[in-house]
Amino acid sequence: METVLSIQKISKQYGKIQAVKELSIEVAKGQIFGILGPNGSGKTTTLSIILDLIRANKGRYRWFGEEPSSESRKRIGSVIENPNFFPYLNPVENLKIVADIKDLDYGDIDRVLHLTGLYERRKSKFKTFSFGMKQRLAIASAMLGNPEVLILDEPTNGLDPQGIAHIRNLILLVASQGTTIILASHLLDEVQKICSHVAVLNKGVKLFDGKVSEVLAISDSFELGADNREALIQAISNYPGFKSLDSSKEILQVLFKEDVVNPGKINSYLFSHGITLYHLSERKRSLEQHFLELLQNNQ
Amino acid sequence: MIKLLKIEFKKIRSYKTFWILTGIYFVFLALGILMAEFIINNMVDNMNKHLPIPLPHVNIFFFPDVWQNIAFFATIRYVLIFPAIIIIILITNEFSFKTIRQNVVNGLSKTDFLLSKLYLIVLISVVLTLFMSIGALIIGLSHTDAITLPLLFDKTSFIIGFFITILTLQIYAFFFGFMLRNTGLAIALFTLYALIVEPILYYFLKSPVVFKNDISTYLPLNAVLRVTEYPAIPVLKKLMGLTLQEDVTLGGCLLPVVYASLMVIIVILTLKKKDL
Repeated sequence: METVLSIQKISKQYGKIQAVKELSIEVAKGQIFGILGPNGSGKTTTLSIILDLIRANKGRYRWFGEEPSSESRKRIGSVIENPNFFPYLNPVENLKIVADIKDLDYGDIDRVLHLTGLYERRKSKFKTFSFGMKQRLAIASAMLGNPEVLILDEPTNGLDPQGIAHIRNLILLVASQGTTIILASHLLDEVQKICSHVAVLNKGVKLFDGKVSEVLAISDSFELGADNREALIQAISNYPGFKSLDSSKEILQVLFKEDVVNPGKINSYLFSHGITLYHLSERKRSLEQHFLELLQNNQ
Repeated sequence: MIKLLKIEFKKIRSYKTFWILTGIYFVFLALGILMAEFIINNMVDNMNKHLPIPLPHVNIFFFPDVWQNIAFFATIRYVLIFPAIIIIILITNEFSFKTIRQNVVNGLSKTDFLLSKLYLIVLISVVLTLFMSIGALIIGLSHTDAITLPLLFDKTSFIIGFFITILTLQIYAFFFGFMLRNTGLAIALFTLYALIVEPILYYFLKSPVVFKNDISTYLPLNAVLRVTEYPAIPVLKKLMGLTLQEDVTLGGCLLPVVYASLMVIIVILTLKKKDL
């Protein structure tokens, strides 16, 4: 796989606060790479460093295998924090400035305005826009000229549910055309819905990274109760996909590895082993709960 | 260079504040120049009340003095502050709108960003110098009876003087804008320095009690103002044989240019090191 971005042990300190600590990340071409972490975990700092807005204290990074320069940034479309445009210019005038900087012609401006649903408002000044529209203009600006890489920092921040769905579909559409996407978010659900790969950050430290399906695999827990407790423990431990159990209470807490278990299957399996349950309940853990656990386990 | 100027032009084309301030500046400029003769003659009238032999009224707009006088009146402290404030606004806006961040993220190097502002400053200086020259030419032609070529071209060094004054002063403003990054703060401190702090420092340093040698001439703004330091007032020359300034000298231009260059270097080094 061709490496698009390689971050090697970057650290950034603001006074006493360590914003990013020895962070290394590799993003390959075509990935939708999520950077997941709570507020203040160093996501924006990391993105600001790789876009030359902030100087790292230590470490280095490479874009497209080269020493980073303004030329490499022209191949990247970015949305960083809040949308930053001239308030007294309309979207077309603002995007023309972007096109000039990136050496693009103006032909693509109408397309990105259509894609982000701003075409009708192309003559209104930026300052008259709602936050959601500003955010969409930022995304339009990032998509201008079909860059090889799209960097999106909290792209659905401040959008209404409809806008969120719209932008997520847009990201998936762009990704399906082979664009590499780097997406920072504090929303587990967003990363899970959009990304193929993820790095989880907390307090500037990378906890782990890998494929979303592996890192963020959700296991469900079940509460099981039967008169014959020992037989139940024995039988459920042999169930395919079994992970762990907590037998400290009368009712057993059982964790499974995969998302494939369902109460019916468990019930019929146990019944075929001669165990009759008097209590069976499924406990879906919320994604947020899962995320908090991930963070806690790595503290 | 063309690319950077194109970007700058897009940023100011629909910017009302810029055009309004530019308009006010031109009104002040025109008023200042047109009032100059009136003010001087008013002074002459006042002096005449106490003089046995009245002084004649002056005409300061004939060739070649028109070059010097327009360059002088167009660069008095209070008029000069306008282009400086415009530059400060254009630069600090980029920080308050965070468009400098967006420009850099989009692929403009920090150096290019600085260059784009410097090119704009040079362009504004060239345009203003052109206006000043054309204005002076028209005024001169309508005030001079017998025009000869040597008469016309004498003292045209004041055109260069005007250009250096307006250019270096805008670079001072560029320095304030980039170092302070905040519009209100930069305008307030610049105005405070230009209109109050430096004049006080000037009299303080000039006083022989404080320093043996007069080092007031080294004050940065004073150095700029001294490029076209005095108007040409023919009465003084005629009556007392006194000429205050004949030409714009290379030596006079050197100090403000050195200051401006130092400021550009400091801005470049700071921007490279500091986070955006």
